[in-house]
Amino acid sequence: MSQKDIPVIDPNAPVILEMQHISKRFGAVTALVDVSIKLRQGEVLALCGDNGAGKSTLIKILSGFHHPDSGTIIYQGKEVHFRSPREARAHGIETVYQDLALINHLSVYHNMFVGREYHKRILGLKLLDNQKMRDLARTYLDSLGIEIPSVSSTVDLLSGGQRQSVAVARSIYSSPTVLVLDEPLAALGVREGAHVLGLIQNLRRLRKVSIILIVHNYNQVFEVCDRINFLHSGEIAFDATTSETTEEELIRIVKSGLGRQAIAAASEEFRDSTQDIGPSSAN
Amino acid sequence: METTGTSRGALAKVGLNVPTTGWGRILGILSRHREASIAVVAVVLVIYFQLGNSNFLSPQELSVVLRDTGRFGLIAVAEVMLMITGEIDLSVGSTFSLAPYVMVLMTITWGVPLALSSIVGILLGVLIGVVNGVITVRFRVPSLIMTVGTFFLLQGVVVSIYNSQPIVAPVQEPFNAIFGENLYGPTDSIWSWHGLTAFTPFLWTALVIAAMALVLNRTSFGLHTIATGSNVIGAREIGIRTDRIKIYNFMIAGAFAAAAGITNTVQFASADPLAGGPFLTLQAIAAAVIGGTSLLGGSGTPIGALLGAFVVATLNNGLVMMGAQATVSDIYLGTAIVVAMILNVQVDRLRARRRM
Repeated sequence: MSQKDIPVIDPNAPVILEMQHISKRFGAVTALVDVSIKLRQGEVLALCGDNGAGKSTLIKILSGFHHPDSGTIIYQGKEVHFRSPREARAHGIETVYQDLALINHLSVYHNMFVGREYHKRILGLKLLDNQKMRDLARTYLDSLGIEIPSVSSTVDLLSGGQRQSVAVARSIYSSPTVLVLDEPLAALGVREGAHVLGLIQNLRRLRKVSIILIVHNYNQVFEVCDRINFLHSGEIAFDATTSETTEEELIRIVKSGLGRQAIAAASEEFRDSTQDIGPSSAN
Repeated sequence: METTGTSRGALAKVGLNVPTTGWGRILGILSRHREASIAVVAVVLVIYFQLGNSNFLSPQELSVVLRDTGRFGLIAVAEVMLMITGEIDLSVGSTFSLAPYVMVLMTITWGVPLALSSIVGILLGVLIGVVNGVITVRFRVPSLIMTVGTFFLLQGVVVSIYNSQPIVAPVQEPFNAIFGENLYGPTDSIWSWHGLTAFTPFLWTALVIAAMALVLNRTSFGLHTIATGSNVIGAREIGIRTDRIKIYNFMIAGAFAAAAGITNTVQFASADPLAGGPFLTLQAIAAAVIGGTSLLGGSGTPIGALLGAFVVATLNNGLVMMGAQATVSDIYLGTAIVVAMILNVQVDRLRARRRM
């Protein structure tokens, strides 16, 4: 699962999604100021930033949950306005929220298909086709290499990584064009996190779906993404491709490229991750 | 971390939790056989009362118990659906009085046949459900308190129409015989048409509950109802219209409360503004709770509601038949509710604890 397995993304790959000059305020709080991001076909983009940097607001605008005060979204070459999550989903933009939106009281296969159930008619009644959903869920999860003890068990029996995997599998089942993963590694152990990263890497290898990965800390996902955008205080601080940079370099850029306040916040983040990066970045 | 991860995996693989204590084991069994455990309680009660009073299983006594079961059960199953979505409707006791009152008034004053005015009565119940539901979801008020408000409001309306006076309801056959009138006499065979009418309210309720069990477990609406109560934010993110699901279930509650009131009025050929009231509401909720539905949302069983209604009706009537004071049964009912609620919540907690 190393960077070398995956060919570098074609720099001329078509841009599938562009959010341009997005601004958003909630009352007195400015969440986003003139933020622009670009996503190419098949690309994995990591959107990093501290708590309150505006990551969640940005993706909630993309997924139709919030509406921007100003700015435009160009999707597949056309300007779009999503009024609801349903509308964004209908356009092929799927989002896995941090809470995973799993229904604990339902089985894995019901969770896979809830909201788009398969039916069969029995005596004229439109009933759930549980057999079909169970079989489809089992085949599909197998094809993604997701190991679940039983698709019939309720999701509250699953581990954190399995839950995350089921949530991702559900989102990509409908073959979306864009997949947004909000903090997929939050609340996961190292081993569980590696499992989810493996799943993302599998999707990246196929280059069928473009992925936006919302993360707190870029070094968690450096291996699986093509490009990293830093969001700071509601603005994009900078934009770098992982094939041209190293983690050490990113730290330098972060330190020099942001304001005084930003450096304080950034260095705190780096202190947490010094074991991964090495002593050169400790100060 | 690593070892716990593996053992958790192994547990998840067999799809079972392995309880460590006797209490945990009992809860585990209860969570897997919810309806069966209530059925056992019901059978034990029947045996107990039959031993204390050999008439308990006679058609006459059974008719009384099962008519009560039908009345409680119809409202209880609606409460179960609502409680699965995480809401509750305490106004059903007033709808139970108001809908048949309006039905009878329509028939008496305008000569509308009961078959038609009863539909208007049920539509009135649906309308009450819409009001309850829309206010609850739009203004984000807890239905627990909101429906206390509509309960008093509707109760006030129904008693003010004729100053709390019951009105005599017309008898129109075959409508009455089909929907609650008891034609069973001492000389009739239990297997005759007249024998059947001794149990019609119960049979209708059993039919409706079977349908609701199917709706809950085998339709998209049922799946969305569970999703709404289990994880309302998640359900919304998936794209389920949780507000609508709640409103629909309030409408079901209104319709079923109206229907139960109508069968009651048909049975006694009288529309009493005080037929429902707070006590009926609470007995129906007791039936839902004893039937294994917690108020935490996401889980509940319609069949359990029927069994719970039977337990409530048996306690209500059995002790009286044995010669006890009517009020004594409340001690048992009260205890049963407390015990059932503790078990329901513990079983739900057990589910939550199994999550790893």
